[in-house]
Amino acid sequence: MSQWHPQPDQLVEFAAGTCHTGMSVAISVHLHYCPQCRAALSELESTSAVLFEQQAAVPVTDSAFDQLMQRIQKDPVTEPEPAPVLSNRFPKALATLLPASLDELDWRQPMKNLRVSHLMTDESGMIIGLHHMKAGGRVPNHYHRGEEISVVLEGGFSDQLGSYGAGDFITRTPSDTHSPRADAHEDCLMLSVVAAPVKLTGALGWLLNPFLKP
Amino acid sequence: MSAANVISILSSKKARTMTQTSQTADEWADLLEAVARRQDTKAFEALFKHFAPLIKAFALSSGLHSQGDHLPEELVQDVMLAIWRKSASYDRRKAAPSTWIFTIARNQRIDMLRRLNKYRADVSADAIWDLESDTELFGEIRQSRIQDKVKAGLYELPVDQRQVMAKVFLEDKSHQEVADEMKLPLGTVKSRVRLAMKKMKLSLEALDL
Repeated sequence: MSQWHPQPDQLVEFAAGTCHTGMSVAISVHLHYCPQCRAALSELESTSAVLFEQQAAVPVTDSAFDQLMQRIQKDPVTEPEPAPVLSNRFPKALATLLPASLDELDWRQPMKNLRVSHLMTDESGMIIGLHHMKAGGRVPNHYHRGEEISVVLEGGFSDQLGSYGAGDFITRTPSDTHSPRADAHEDCLMLSVVAAPVKLTGALGWLLNPFLKP
Repeated sequence: MSAANVISILSSKKARTMTQTSQTADEWADLLEAVARRQDTKAFEALFKHFAPLIKAFALSSGLHSQGDHLPEELVQDVMLAIWRKSASYDRRKAAPSTWIFTIARNQRIDMLRRLNKYRADVSADAIWDLESDTELFGEIRQSRIQDKVKAGLYELPVDQRQVMAKVFLEDKSHQEVADEMKLPLGTVKSRVRLAMKKMKLSLEALDL
């Protein structure tokens, strides 16, 4: 079971459908690994449903049902009962953003031990991507100019603030400096959602944005 | 619709909903299964009569009409069509009918807003808010117990907490947007929601690690 979770208010916004796409993909991926947060989400959705049912009903136009039935008769397809999900390598929200093989992605290597790939930029400017750290590899000390969310997909890593495994939802704010190191025995693959470029604080002092093309 | 309307409904329906809860949920579940198994249009019409006006209220409280007068009715059509098409995946052991319908309405609203804002969605709302992902069955009894707990708990909440709950959960506003609108600090909005969840004895506070 995952040890690092989204904040309760982030789960509330996910349940209400008000968070941006980057955040919602990150939370959706975490939920895949975390029965505890799925139970909390189920309660939040039940809460929403109760509020939804207790709204003052607003009448629809008289022809609304007939219009709908005409639409259905024109195209009567119903979706079949869902087949049991095969054990996919990645959770659905992420899998829909990925090609058949990770090798097909455009990987860049901004520094030793770290490869990054850009998947999409959402409506709020958040960049959704994958980070891959080599087993045992350490990434130089850096801080973040904006919020960064990482969700561990495979392997694990640790930094000054803790150690993390599959499903862990890690938030780094602009004030956090860290130098993550991947676990020794296995490469670490992470979903990353970043608001703004990452800045290195090492001796070189150069600006790093793993997602911007040079 | 304003939060004040929601609150007045909350109090006026108190006596009725407290006694009818599980029976009604059972009936809606039966109707959804009739649609799934036999494409039963009578059952579908009964669902439409009850839920379509609620979906329209939800569309209005989300401000959809400000982007086009026809949009609230369009959302009603989209959501009811999705209910017809997805009815086979409704599982009464996993979700109360109104919870399942709320999640469909939420997802359809997200997709509609993205289309309106010409935002190219690489990932659909159904892929993120996956209606079928949870393989664990919480059980019908647990589901209706959660809803009963929420219904009972909502009436006990102070007005300021109920108002914030209605805004945060239904009106398509983030905590920050609710804070801006109500001229409250962000922390106050968040803590009102957390307090409300705690008072309803929901386990969300277990996540405060």
